[in-house]
Amino acid sequence: MIEGSISNRIRALRFHHGEMSQGDLGQLIGVTRQTIASIEAGKYSPSLEAAFRIAHAFNVPLGDVFRWETVRDEEP
Amino acid sequence: MPFREKTAWLALISMVVTFGPYFALVGTFAHGDALPNLRLLGLFAVAAISQMIILGAGRFFLSRSAPEDARVPPDERDLAITRRSITSAYYVLIGGMIVVGCVMPFNSGGWSIINAALLMIVAAELVHYGVAIANYRRQA
Repeated sequence: MIEGSISNRIRALRFHHGEMSQGDLGQLIGVTRQTIASIEAGKYSPSLEAAFRIAHAFNVPLGDVFRWETVRDEEP
Repeated sequence: MPFREKTAWLALISMVVTFGPYFALVGTFAHGDALPNLRLLGLFAVAAISQMIILGAGRFFLSRSAPEDARVPPDERDLAITRRSITSAYYVLIGGMIVVGCVMPFNSGGWSIINAALLMIVAAELVHYGVAIANYRRQA
């Protein structure tokens, strides 16, 4: 299995959108403020639909919000 | 703290403070297995009614202190946590019921079986709320 982790730029995007609060973003996409905080901290991976909603809220492509970072295997 | 984590804490605490003393009492005094046993039935009624009162008052207080949070339906993270906690509780309940229903009838009877079944239900509920709280804490 390919090992990796998901990183996100939600904090930066909120900043660039007039310091949008986590609660406001949560209301836009239909989740609680705590869930946004959890996603932002990388402790909860949202569903694909929620991820698209977040990208839509910031009017950017999905890849600008979330990024998959592969853990490279060390060469023998 | 998310509203649903608070309600999970409330349910867990109400279960511990009502059914904890019930099982402690039932375990310490000798009771026959004859049915009906009004003393045990009374104890169970006190525990169940106390739990309902604590849950009702607690829910009322939590809803009053955060009315907007109380109105919001569970989101996808809440539902995922609920699914995980119910799955864990199911294994506890099914394991307990196998013991109560298939093993205990050979060496026990009456109130012993009823109390063992109640204990398994309470244990499953404790696991349900405990796993939910642990998940909320881990993702906080």
